[in-house]
Amino acid sequence: MSVRQLLLIAVTIIGLSMVSSVALIVGAKFRRGRADARSRALLAPYRSSLLALASGEDETGQAKAELSEIPSHTWDRLRPSVIVLLTKVRGAAAEDLSDLLRSHGEVEKATKMLKSRSAVHRARAAYLFGLVRDPITAPLVVPLLSDSNADVRFVATRSLGFIGVPSSAGAILQAIGNSQGRIGVPAWIAAEALLSMGIEIAPALRAGLASNDVAVRNVCAVVAGVGTFSSAAPQLRILMNTERDDDVRVSVAVALGRLGGQLDAAVLATHTGISETAVLRRTCATALGEVGEPESLDVLSGLLGDGDRRLAYLAAESMVRIGIEGIAQLQEVASSTGQDANAARGALDVARLRGQLAGSAGES
Amino acid sequence: MNWTGLLEGVRQVISAIMHLVAIPVLIYFLVINTSLLVLIGLAAAEFSRQRRIEEYAGREETVSSRLALGVSVILPSYNEEAVIVTSVKAMLALHYSLYEIIVVDDGSTDGMFDRLQSAFDLVPIHLEVPSDVPTRGAVVDVHIPKDGRTRLVVVRKENSGKSDAINVGINVAVEPLVVFVDADSILDPDSLVVVTKPFADDPTRVVATGGVIRAANGCKVVDGRLVEVNLAKPWIVRIQVVEYLRAFLFGRMGWSRFGALILISGAFGMVRRDVLVEVGGLNPDSIGEDFELVMRIHRHMLEKGRDYRVQFVAEPVSWTEVPVTAKVLRSQRKRWHRGLWETLWKYRGMMFNPRYGKVGMVAIPYHWVFELMAPLVELVGLILVFLGLPLGVVNLPYALMFMAAAYGYAILVTLLAMAVEELTFHKYTRWRDLGAIILASLLENVGYRQATAWWRLEGWWASLRGKKQVWGTMTRQGFDQDPPIVSAVSADD
Repeated sequence: MSVRQLLLIAVTIIGLSMVSSVALIVGAKFRRGRADARSRALLAPYRSSLLALASGEDETGQAKAELSEIPSHTWDRLRPSVIVLLTKVRGAAAEDLSDLLRSHGEVEKATKMLKSRSAVHRARAAYLFGLVRDPITAPLVVPLLSDSNADVRFVATRSLGFIGVPSSAGAILQAIGNSQGRIGVPAWIAAEALLSMGIEIAPALRAGLASNDVAVRNVCAVVAGVGTFSSAAPQLRILMNTERDDDVRVSVAVALGRLGGQLDAAVLATHTGISETAVLRRTCATALGEVGEPESLDVLSGLLGDGDRRLAYLAAESMVRIGIEGIAQLQEVASSTGQDANAARGALDVARLRGQLAGSAGES
Repeated sequence: MNWTGLLEGVRQVISAIMHLVAIPVLIYFLVINTSLLVLIGLAAAEFSRQRRIEEYAGREETVSSRLALGVSVILPSYNEEAVIVTSVKAMLALHYSLYEIIVVDDGSTDGMFDRLQSAFDLVPIHLEVPSDVPTRGAVVDVHIPKDGRTRLVVVRKENSGKSDAINVGINVAVEPLVVFVDADSILDPDSLVVVTKPFADDPTRVVATGGVIRAANGCKVVDGRLVEVNLAKPWIVRIQVVEYLRAFLFGRMGWSRFGALILISGAFGMVRRDVLVEVGGLNPDSIGEDFELVMRIHRHMLEKGRDYRVQFVAEPVSWTEVPVTAKVLRSQRKRWHRGLWETLWKYRGMMFNPRYGKVGMVAIPYHWVFELMAPLVELVGLILVFLGLPLGVVNLPYALMFMAAAYGYAILVTLLAMAVEELTFHKYTRWRDLGAIILASLLENVGYRQATAWWRLEGWWASLRGKKQVWGTMTRQGFDQDPPIVSAVSADD
């Protein structure tokens, strides 16, 4: 076959493919337009009932009854709207929408889908259980924390958070670590899920702080701080001095800032030293402000002239947060010259704008 | 030698060259377009995956999360008085729980700062700017809103260029993630939620993410928000829309999926602040500062042996005005190609070096052969054809078929990209816009493609001659039907 013949064949194939592509584009647009119009027409009679249900205004139960009766082909088109609304509402409205899902057999379908070979189906099932928030479904979701598909594991974690059964906390902590080449559940997803389970996860949290897995310790420190789990404070104090991982130490410092008292101020102060990493020094300086102990002022004012100017500013901000004594010291420093004064002036300027200087000597 | 002899000599030379390069050039076209097809296929697979998981992706939860990673949005700005207030207001209204806006006024000579001061009630503060990354232009002063709560910082500095302005912004930034946005860009409300998600999901490995840039020309913008996607009327814009979709959306998503994305747009890119500090921020001397930064991050991470990811996020998007005149487009393409060449040359040591993995073995060689060399190969091929025709060296039907195959394949690839766009994002809802896009896919190859190839070569040549880069000016239409304004052209204009 000559080059010309080859070119001719190629040009013909390309031309036909171009025509097919244009047909595909036009066809896709046409089909979508028609499907959208069909959906709108099908759902229009039920729009007001759905809105009444989602806004918690279905006092007579008429809307729920009507929506529970709709035929399956209409329900298939309505279902996505119900799912979206369910992520946005709480209380009675959420319960009504969950009942609607149950009435259309969605929970049974999801239970079957848990065993599906399709990861998308398994994830959808786990997600639905999370939306419905029925505690009895938690044991069904827990096994998905070790699913082979990362998306399924992530969705299962979030769903367990929605369901809020504290006994799942241990399983979530186990799912955090990377194992057998699998990516563990991201720290923030796990932490969010644990935070939504309430105070009853405290024992699991304390066990997690003693875990050999760095990621687990980190998540537990974050949760302890954000959730103000004061029972974890003694362990956090120990970790602050013994932990080797920098990220965990930073999380512990943040947590101690939120939970701690006088004892913790001393521990945090020692970690503002020059031998520590910049991130830890800055975190501890901020945490000292959160603890709010006037005893920290000497350490903080010593940081105002530090070569790390961000640290100096954070120290000044913490002095403002400690209150009148800190502000007075800052005002004294600000009236001098040098680097210390620059950091002090910056923090005082911001504090003044925020109205934090009211009542202090400088504002009288 | 008489005239006939000279002509015969030229004829023989061109004939010899034609015989030598005809098939290799055709193969080059085939390979370049096939590679684009592969990238589009990879992107389509990724879009398909994202759409499947959309229902349970948990975007809403990220918005309200107490553990959301903080973001510092840096807007380097120079003489943007017409758009800056609308832009900042829109940025302050993004859906995200923890972020600050840092406007770095790079020595503007217009009334930009006055507008900001009056709109946001700015007052000066004694804020020391740390020197975590080196900078050139001295900071003049720092302002924040009088309420002390609105998370807006305006830094005025001496004029020293966009990259240096971003570096100052990095120093001012207090959050762990930093995103660079052009002051004239319009972000989708959920853009921060989505570009931060890869960092949240894989915090130890993801170091940078890039968002897609789409053309805002012709779209309806109200209060800095894009409310209706329309296609602009000028064909030069419509063709760029097609080009942006193929190259920015599908090309970059394909590379991201392959795990070797080496370019994140400076108009909308997010990077971990600690990584930026480690690598020393942006290089103010680089023409393609965004490309250079990502290359430096790759080299740094790979040399340190760190497991890391640079990812592309397809949606939501940043919308920006694209050039509406050939003059501005020429200036832009010259700068882009010059930046490409200078960066590839700077990092030539990474090419075919197994130490740099997919980046060194695939992405960099690809960019040398199919991005840098493409305009040269294309124009040489065209010149030979046009010289050969009057000399009778080229068989006209053969040449036409040759060009039909080469350009037809390029059009097919673009149409397939448009098909994937229509099947996934379908941003352009009007039938006439769709028709115009299809037509633009064809028209791109008639004049536009050749002109941009020439301009790209001009940029390359200017760099080889060591000519100083002169930043052009771009007439911006402004948001909300503001009167047109003129401003410096930024990297991804």
